[in-house]
Amino acid sequence: MTNTSRDSDVPPEPVVEVRHLSHRYPVGNETVGALTGVDLTVNDGEFVAVIGPSGCGKTTLLSIIAGLLPPTGGQVSVFGSDTRAARRSQALGLVTQDPGLLPWLDVASNVLLTLDITGPHDGADEYVTELLERVGISRFARYYPGQLSGGMRQRVALARALVHHPRLLLMDEPFGALDEISREEMRFELLKVWEQEQMSVVFVTHSIREAVLLADRVVVLTGQPGRVKDVIEIDLDRPRTASLEDSPRYLSLLADVRGLLVSETDRSDLVHAIPGNRR
Amino acid sequence: MKRKFQRNILILLTPALVSALLLAVWETWVRVRDVKEYLLPAPSAILAALLDDPGRFAEGARLSLQAAIGGLLLASLGAFILAVAMAHSRALERALYPPALALKVTPIVAVAPLFTIWFGFGLAPKVLIAAMITFFPMLVNSVVGLRSIDPRAHDFLRTINASTWQVFWRLRVPSSLPFVFAGLRISVPLSLIGAVVAEFLSGSDGIGQLILIANGDFDTPVLFGAIFVLAAMGILLTASVALVERKVLFWYQSSVRL
Ligand SMILES: Nc1ncnc2c1ncn2[C@@H]1O[C@H](COP(=O)(O)OP(=O)(O)OP(=O)(O)O)[C@@H](O)[C@H]1O
Ligand SMILES: [Mg+2]
Repeated sequence: MTNTSRDSDVPPEPVVEVRHLSHRYPVGNETVGALTGVDLTVNDGEFVAVIGPSGCGKTTLLSIIAGLLPPTGGQVSVFGSDTRAARRSQALGLVTQDPGLLPWLDVASNVLLTLDITGPHDGADEYVTELLERVGISRFARYYPGQLSGGMRQRVALARALVHHPRLLLMDEPFGALDEISREEMRFELLKVWEQEQMSVVFVTHSIREAVLLADRVVVLTGQPGRVKDVIEIDLDRPRTASLEDSPRYLSLLADVRGLLVSETDRSDLVHAIPGNRR
Repeated sequence: MKRKFQRNILILLTPALVSALLLAVWETWVRVRDVKEYLLPAPSAILAALLDDPGRFAEGARLSLQAAIGGLLLASLGAFILAVAMAHSRALERALYPPALALKVTPIVAVAPLFTIWFGFGLAPKVLIAAMITFFPMLVNSVVGLRSIDPRAHDFLRTINASTWQVFWRLRVPSSLPFVFAGLRISVPLSLIGAVVAEFLSGSDGIGQLILIANGDFDTPVLFGAIFVLAAMGILLTASVALVERKVLFWYQSSVRL
């Protein structure tokens, strides 16, 4: 059931196609622009990171792709249809910075809730156990969210968003609340799951390192209202490992992304932090 | 473990000691000043009145409690169902709020005689009065509760295409429970007041009738006995609700404590 959409005879159409997208929020009697003229394509199986300064519309973009927010202008198609139809396929996963777990359900039940709604699949029980193991919370399966640390809760949110094998995983600063060590762990766990599941990921982050380390492409958003400043292809080998961070190619890509962001925010203090090997 | 036990003992012991002290002062004062019994009976006289015909108090308490609980359940259920509709649509909320408010501000003493005319002296008018007085707090709390869902949890459920029905049962109803229980804590004493006032005005039965008769007879010890029984009923009901609340809302405590 879960694999029909991934059969090789399906033409490789983009999973997400965003054209001339703009969005304005009503504020009082006026409207405020959050996004303008955004184009974005996410191909099947691709990992796309979106980075940009605070308030440039990253969360707005993600909400629109998730079908949670109807945009005020432009077209968005997901899985080749409109976002409502895409949602109906129950092949989306969402992880937000504030995870929004159900506090009256324990960890295992929070994860199983997804399957209660999307319908169980073969070997669901083993997969739940495996997933909890992977994100490092199997010991806490019977804990309630209120008894967990912020980082733990984020792991539960990740498991909850993965358990139904989504084709498209949308993540909004998912590791922002984690400590640096767990963050590192979670990044590589996410990459492993992504490689196995062959899903597409849109990953919003504030971390330049994280974007370059994880993604196939990094979309740099700027300004208010937000637009795409540039898209950088990350042509680093996979599977990616921590040792990658010593490679000159990685450092130069890092500098590219940082350069784009810094010239945007015009922070001279950050310029000094750029390694000298810009392309 | 031991410390916890000691704390529990202390929690029970302190109010018991304070009450005993108050009663002792009361008793002494009545005896020393030789206060007339119809003005203020000594605790010993009240106890004697209670023990003289305990069945009478027990039966009164049973009937009043029945009416109070019946009214509370009726109001909670009705209010919750209406709250679901009101939480669903702002227009409906605006339309239903004025009549609900009118019901709240109408004094029950004014309506009770009418209910007696309509429904006689049985359980029905008492239940309705108790329901009427508790309806509004239950309604307001339920509406606020049903709206208090975590938008992040809602977003997640929507992205996996949960139906409105699933969102209602999985998210809305559990989210509303802390507010529903807050409403119950307000409504429990109100429901007893409603039941007893109805009995008092119609003179049908229950603790309210007992008070009415004792008042007519200048039987102040029985009057005080009825008041004590009423207070005990209130404490019992409140404690039961608190117990259920602790069981049902275990997660609420732990998430608030963060
Ligand atoms: N519900 C809303 N009503 C009005 N304006 C909003 C609303 N949500 C977002 N905005 C505005 O839209 C802009 C983009 O917001 P958005 O949350 O998408 O930014 P972001 O890139 O996710 O920021 P951050 O990195 O801080 O999370 C901001 O200027 C914000 O003030
Ligand atoms: Mg955001």
